[in-house]
Amino acid sequence: MRDRMQEAIKRSKADYSEIRIEEKESTRIAYQGKDLENAGTVLDKGGIVRVLVRSKGWGVATFNNLDDLATRVDQAYQCAQVASSPEPIEMAEVEPVEKAITVKMKLDFRNVSLAEKKALAERQNDILRGYSDKIIDTFSLYVDSFSRVTFANSQGTFIEAERPSVALAAVAIARDGDNVQQAHKTDAAPAGFEYVLEKEELAKQAARRAVELLGAKRVMGGQYPVVLDPLLASVFIHEAFGHLSESDFVYENPKAREMMVLGRQFGKELLNVYDDGSIEGLRGTTLYDDEGTPGRRNDLIKDGILVGRLHSRETAAKMGERPTGNARAVNYRFAPIVRMTNTAIQNGDSSFADMIRDIELGIYACDAYGGETQLENFSFSSGYAYMIRHGQIAEMVKDVILAGNLFMTLANIDLIGNDFRWISGAGGCGKANQANLPIDCGAPHIRIQNVVIGGES
Amino acid sequence: MDILNQLKTQAEQVEVLRLQNEQTSVKFEANKLKTSTVAETRGTAVRVIRQGKLGFAASSDDTALDKLAANVLESACYGDEVPLRFPDPGPFAPVRIFDRTVADLPIARLVEIGEEILDLILPVEPEARCNISLTRSVQSVRIRNQTGLDISYQRSPFSIGFEIDRIVGDDVLILYNMFGTTVWDDDYLAFARSLVEKLKLARRIVPIKGGNMPVLFSPVGTLALAIPLNEGLNGKNVYKGTSPLIGKLGEKLFDQKIGITDDGTIDGKFASAPCDDEGVPHRRNVLVEDGRLKSFLYDLKTAALFGVETTGNASRGLFNPPEPSPTNFMLQPGQTPLKAIIARIDQGILVEDLLGIGQGNVISGAFSNPLSLAFKIERGEIVGRVKDVSIAGNVYELLRNVAAVSQEAQWVYSTFYAPYLLLPEMNVVAKG
Repeated sequence: MRDRMQEAIKRSKADYSEIRIEEKESTRIAYQGKDLENAGTVLDKGGIVRVLVRSKGWGVATFNNLDDLATRVDQAYQCAQVASSPEPIEMAEVEPVEKAITVKMKLDFRNVSLAEKKALAERQNDILRGYSDKIIDTFSLYVDSFSRVTFANSQGTFIEAERPSVALAAVAIARDGDNVQQAHKTDAAPAGFEYVLEKEELAKQAARRAVELLGAKRVMGGQYPVVLDPLLASVFIHEAFGHLSESDFVYENPKAREMMVLGRQFGKELLNVYDDGSIEGLRGTTLYDDEGTPGRRNDLIKDGILVGRLHSRETAAKMGERPTGNARAVNYRFAPIVRMTNTAIQNGDSSFADMIRDIELGIYACDAYGGETQLENFSFSSGYAYMIRHGQIAEMVKDVILAGNLFMTLANIDLIGNDFRWISGAGGCGKANQANLPIDCGAPHIRIQNVVIGGES
Repeated sequence: MDILNQLKTQAEQVEVLRLQNEQTSVKFEANKLKTSTVAETRGTAVRVIRQGKLGFAASSDDTALDKLAANVLESACYGDEVPLRFPDPGPFAPVRIFDRTVADLPIARLVEIGEEILDLILPVEPEARCNISLTRSVQSVRIRNQTGLDISYQRSPFSIGFEIDRIVGDDVLILYNMFGTTVWDDDYLAFARSLVEKLKLARRIVPIKGGNMPVLFSPVGTLALAIPLNEGLNGKNVYKGTSPLIGKLGEKLFDQKIGITDDGTIDGKFASAPCDDEGVPHRRNVLVEDGRLKSFLYDLKTAALFGVETTGNASRGLFNPPEPSPTNFMLQPGQTPLKAIIARIDQGILVEDLLGIGQGNVISGAFSNPLSLAFKIERGEIVGRVKDVSIAGNVYELLRNVAAVSQEAQWVYSTFYAPYLLLPEMNVVAKG
């Protein structure tokens, strides 16, 4: 394959050409309620050619039939000809590299029988279902996938990378009359079958929470001091801030550039945020991104000041900065775009007790249940929450939706916990139709003053 | 050997789905055309029922069909026993979903259409940044099973997706939508014109005080109400017991003015096809009529579990087994002209779009969203845009009492059709 890829690239008439071939085998077992929904394996194999004609633009061809790569390169070249970028498109320099990245799983899931994987998902499902007769529906999921991605470009880079992934998800839905509540827990890693063994706690927690939520009251809308748990804090920093630091958002948008100007004060001095694609064993780790740029730690907010952003080779060249290793594609059907890897709020020094001690009336919001952002405006649902009364965690509340302005909210972070952790959730990030890109995010508990909580007041 | 014949010797029932897609798209980013793409995809998905148990496998690798056959048989070893039967052939709905004009659209013409849209928007709104993607495809679908069913059809979807943002100082306005069709529509610029009107209207920002007031939902805004209903009407959620509509067939749950249908047989519409993804003929399904719950949406499996007939709503991608899903989901227009509805509002808001639609505990019917675009209506007129406003409520409570439904209706996001809908009173939360 290497020869065929390099041969096809050599014949390209474009200024820059790359080919990425991906072969993926994925096993999925899903239980829904008492039923096994699916236990099976799918095979996905295909490729993408991306070329740049500097004075015109990008051309892309994707395909499942790998027989004639030279024709695909030519198709992509024809596509690039119709583009009409007003200025020439440049790519920042990256050292060419030849590398084969192989992984060793402690317990290779490709050698584990479908029966054993099924038993594991079934065990989780039994725990969910058996927890309470209020649990009316469950979802228990086991997914593994092993991809082999081969990348070659016209600048001499050739990378073969193996990417394993294993994930569990447990969802419990509880009902009491018209009151229906749900809770979910997930866990995932670029690892082997060993990672998902002895994870019964996952199902137990999801079931317990769904039942607890039945007794929770709807939160009263208003402004509160809010403490976010590490999960919600990390999803918040990924969604509300992280996406704004992706340079494809700012690089052709003068207004956004103004908003995201380096050196701008984004928070109090205690706030530090970074993205790091080089940490071993995390879900967003790339080692090399899908343009062949090595992953590394990129500081985004340092001591409250905006100091960096995430780049592809194109955005880096456009903004006169270094590529950061953040050009990623979810699979061979897509060209890489600027994406996060592992994004985090750095550990602070407050204990959880310190954070709630002086709150007369506030909210402790946990777990994320989805969210959306539009530039600096965001809206997030927490999975469950508690009132904080007189410095103590009080009753559970539901339907806690945080809405607000990113800059005001970041500036209102006044305490950062000392209990940092990576979340390693099974979901992924979605952007520009490229959904479920593996990422990780992490944070300690954080406290934010004056958060607007939606709902009836 | 053909995979259907091969598997027929080893299983009682076999279904083979073959998908092929050839697609061209051009993408304008920040008003500039930077990327064009051609994509060819193909693949095969197989289901078998062997010794009463259901198995599923799929592959995009045509060189590995033996492995696909082995995978589906292995899957069936562990599958559940489902009392479903793959359908006998037809008769299929005659529906127009292929158009040479779309299929033959050259890439240069896609570029031209994109530029025509920009020429409409930019002179009016020089500050706007438009991301527009234009896509034409030719999809070929073939579904076969052991009964002799063998249906093939071609579709020619054409879509224009857009995201427009206008940032002036600290004021941010972002609009999304998608126009989609399967036959050529000469008025492909209509949606762009209505967008320009919204952008113009949004220039004037007016203050608003929160409180209880009438709330008028635009067709896009209506999505906030329709998405929970969509979930609640899905046969899978009813089977799971999570739908609040469970056990309520035949009951009058909504205002008399509410009617909902799902119809995959409308010529030229984005989700139209002669049959669903299990080879069951598409048809028009009345889900809610005069406020009364008439039917849920089923595929073969959920229908079998309920002991009813499928409604022909199976939907799937290559790599997933089918599930019930709406086709063209339509909230029925009403009797009142929009002008007359607005004219009788003394003090209220028009909700054009909400942030975070579909998040949270959707199935319960509850929603709580900031409004990303809303207008104030005062003494029967739209007077300007309001900011930092949010609404919350429960669809199942709110739709019991609807003040008016407009005659005018629109397709939004290609497959959802809705009128303007006026709720007599909702709590509107305004900040500042």
